[in-house]
Amino acid sequence: MTKKRGLGVGSMFYGIGYGFNRADIGSAYIEMADDGTTTVYSGACDMGQGIMTVVAQVAAEVVGAHIDTIRVVAADTTSTPDAGPTSGSRATFVQGIAVHEAASDLHDQLMQTAAGMFECEKDELEAHNGDVYLKGANAPIASLAEVAARVHLLGGRCASWGWHDNSTADVDPETSQGDAYASYGWATQLAEVEVDTETGHVKVLKIVSATDAGKAINPVAVEGQIQGGAAMGVGYALYEQHILDQGVPRTDSMAFYLVPTSMDVPEIQCEIVEVFDPKGPFGAKGIAEPATVPTTPAILNAIYDAIGIRITDTPATPERVFQAIQEARARGEFED
Amino acid sequence: MAQPEQVTSAAQSGPYDWIGSSVPKVDALDKALGITQYVGDMQMPGMLHARIRWSGVPHAVIRGIDTSDAEKVPGVRAVLTAGDIPGVNRYGLAVQDQRVLADDKVRSAADPVALVAAETEQAAEEAINKIKLDLEPLRPVLSIEDALDPTAPAIHEGGNLFARTTVRKGDLDQGVRDSDVIVETTYRTHLMDHMAMETESSLAYMDPTGVLTIITSTQYPYRDRRQIAPALNLSMNKVRVVQAPIGGGFGRKDDITSEIHAGLLALKTHRPVRLIYTRQDSLIANTKRHPMLMKFRTGARSDGRLTFVDADIYGDTGAYLSLGAFVIKKAGIHACGPYDVPNIRVDTHTLYTNNLSSGAMRGFGVLQAAMAHESQMDQLAHRLGISPIDIRLINTLKPGLATGTGQVMDEGCGIEATVLRIKEYMESHDLRFARS
Amino acid sequence: MEHYSLKINGNVYETDAEPFESLLDVLREKLRLTGSKKGCDEGECGSCTVLLDGKPVLSCILLVSDVREKEVLTIEGLPQGGEPHPIQVEMTERGGIQCGYCTPGIIMSAYALLQENPRPSEDEIRFAIAGNICRCTGYSKIVEALQAAAGTPIR
Repeated sequence: MTKKRGLGVGSMFYGIGYGFNRADIGSAYIEMADDGTTTVYSGACDMGQGIMTVVAQVAAEVVGAHIDTIRVVAADTTSTPDAGPTSGSRATFVQGIAVHEAASDLHDQLMQTAAGMFECEKDELEAHNGDVYLKGANAPIASLAEVAARVHLLGGRCASWGWHDNSTADVDPETSQGDAYASYGWATQLAEVEVDTETGHVKVLKIVSATDAGKAINPVAVEGQIQGGAAMGVGYALYEQHILDQGVPRTDSMAFYLVPTSMDVPEIQCEIVEVFDPKGPFGAKGIAEPATVPTTPAILNAIYDAIGIRITDTPATPERVFQAIQEARARGEFED
Repeated sequence: MAQPEQVTSAAQSGPYDWIGSSVPKVDALDKALGITQYVGDMQMPGMLHARIRWSGVPHAVIRGIDTSDAEKVPGVRAVLTAGDIPGVNRYGLAVQDQRVLADDKVRSAADPVALVAAETEQAAEEAINKIKLDLEPLRPVLSIEDALDPTAPAIHEGGNLFARTTVRKGDLDQGVRDSDVIVETTYRTHLMDHMAMETESSLAYMDPTGVLTIITSTQYPYRDRRQIAPALNLSMNKVRVVQAPIGGGFGRKDDITSEIHAGLLALKTHRPVRLIYTRQDSLIANTKRHPMLMKFRTGARSDGRLTFVDADIYGDTGAYLSLGAFVIKKAGIHACGPYDVPNIRVDTHTLYTNNLSSGAMRGFGVLQAAMAHESQMDQLAHRLGISPIDIRLINTLKPGLATGTGQVMDEGCGIEATVLRIKEYMESHDLRFARS
Repeated sequence: MEHYSLKINGNVYETDAEPFESLLDVLREKLRLTGSKKGCDEGECGSCTVLLDGKPVLSCILLVSDVREKEVLTIEGLPQGGEPHPIQVEMTERGGIQCGYCTPGIIMSAYALLQENPRPSEDEIRFAIAGNICRCTGYSKIVEALQAAAGTPIR
């Protein structure tokens, strides 16, 4: 039999944010217009992973608005405050709290005005999906738009901002002991591979990713990041390699630098684990990088499980795997 | 430090109207319709097209740059070299070791040496190919081993070892004595490209109020502004950086890419300038994933408990640091994995070479570290006859236990839950390891 | 420069272009139909996929002079009566879109597939988009969205 199957696992932890005393802030402005529509000026860049959507969800939840009435303005040094970079799996974890803070204050302003309109205490009121309710009541007493119009009519403040600092102290310079990061992401992946012992070709048949999202604010977006991260891990483990010849890149075209296609990436089963993180917004934490990290070790461990050979250099190209098999054969250590 | 009272208010429990709901992404429908405007989709009246001439050689002294033929190409409006930079010809995320345009030396094959702005992309391309570089080759430093060689030429002042970090915990000798099995392996990882589907791109123009505006595919406009303004000798409040829709980042767009170059050309030509990296530009230039050499020795008792980790991690950050020292420090902090390890010695070494630069990339050093520590875990498991799942469960961090850097875990520590979820998955799908 | 009358999305566009210009550059820079993306400009990534007489082609390696008298369909031409095409809806709602840069190309490849094969298998879907590189999603949610658009069971 020239094709051997194996399973491998990889676990990891990942310090969320910048850590060790690097600036790690989030911030946002928020305002509600007379008609009840809300704009969030969020300085966190969205590369497609979905921080704008997370910002909209957090704002809608906390203000009590309908998500379709929230507009999120992308990062711009003239219109949005500095929210740090979108990297280090930090955007949801840090910016989520800054937006939460801004939205909470706006919500308070609206409820204060509504309390005046209905001659009650603001703590007796709550807002959901654009309507204001007496707590526990089924029928709304007003829309947020009516309340917002009232705030503007009275010349009140209908805007706020939030700021959150996730910075940590640096670790000890000699021992690195210390609280390096505010929090950590956690993930374990399982990979199933099939190794062709005649060619060295490794095919990934399946990946199962158990990723701790703390709280998945948008589960489909979380799954999408897990799947995309794992696909990049497949590429790193097996295909992608920048080849330099005397420092000069020889793989300067997509014809030579190979990233995984839809035929190369297997089914990726997402198992979202939710271990509530008390430091994150609604218990959430970042998952972008934890999605990528475990894939490569899981694949390398699965290759070992399949053929009993440990690949120690990446990527595990057919040439490298085949050579390792041939060496093991020469030593009489390979079971064909 | 985080303020606990804010955190408590945010960390509330449900039920929720919107949290936990898979609403479609707010920007997805426009992308599906093809109406989202990425930088490369934008045009402005009078807009020029820019291209960059890269050095093409890894290490050399610049004797001269002849732009005369390039300037004669019809439609060319500017050909710029280092002498045309109005401000400080230095930038960088952690240290300012990068040149907007190469001046004294070329330190990598991806050093920008000249810029062209022209009426058409074809004219700009023709012009960059007509720039003549007079370069005197220097001995290049092309590997981690080269960089550690004391006779190798220094790529920057201060030598090729940029930084060393150390992790120390417990007593390594005691850990070795406590071990029933020790595995020792050297791992090597390679240079990886982000390959965001949208290449690096910026559109720069002077707005009607005299503010240089740069619309760009970036992960952090504020840090871009911090680097753009000094290079162009502008006050920061006269520079506006706008994040356009981003066609993928993965860490690459943390760095300055096309922003300063586009801004410089717009300043010099008084015209809007659009600079879009070709795919070849993108594959050549800018930061990648660090190649690392990792020597690991890990011990365990016969019951599977880890006794020590002893490791040296060498990272090739290429010709410029970017965030390299942070990436490699992070690899060291994560070198013991999500496990309770009593005795630790980890040294990391951030090294300059004349290879392409590496910086932030999804995983940020932890991917390389995990490749090593997880391979070690499985080797220990096989030596001890313990399953790969069980050896992880025996050692995973739990609330009250501390990381390799002494951070005591709170209830947000989820590693055991993720391993257990995989164990359950394997059991419910009747999946078994072939060798344990 | 030569003059071209191009049939695109059911309309006729008049433009001047050099015969060596790619269809993609003419679409994007001259006609301002920027939905088709330039990811590599060398026929490797699929972001520029459009339909030519109903067949998916890479518009970055197709000369404008080669599309005379042919029908071009781009992402802008998919909505009918102002409503997004079902593929566009499913891609949006099922998380098939992250950065969105590959999305128009994926949708055009998928549209071509469903025109020929209205109920494709998962393997047929994966094969049809194998020339469209996506760096964000790992393809799973794209495949799901296309299964939903075709009305076939989702794994």
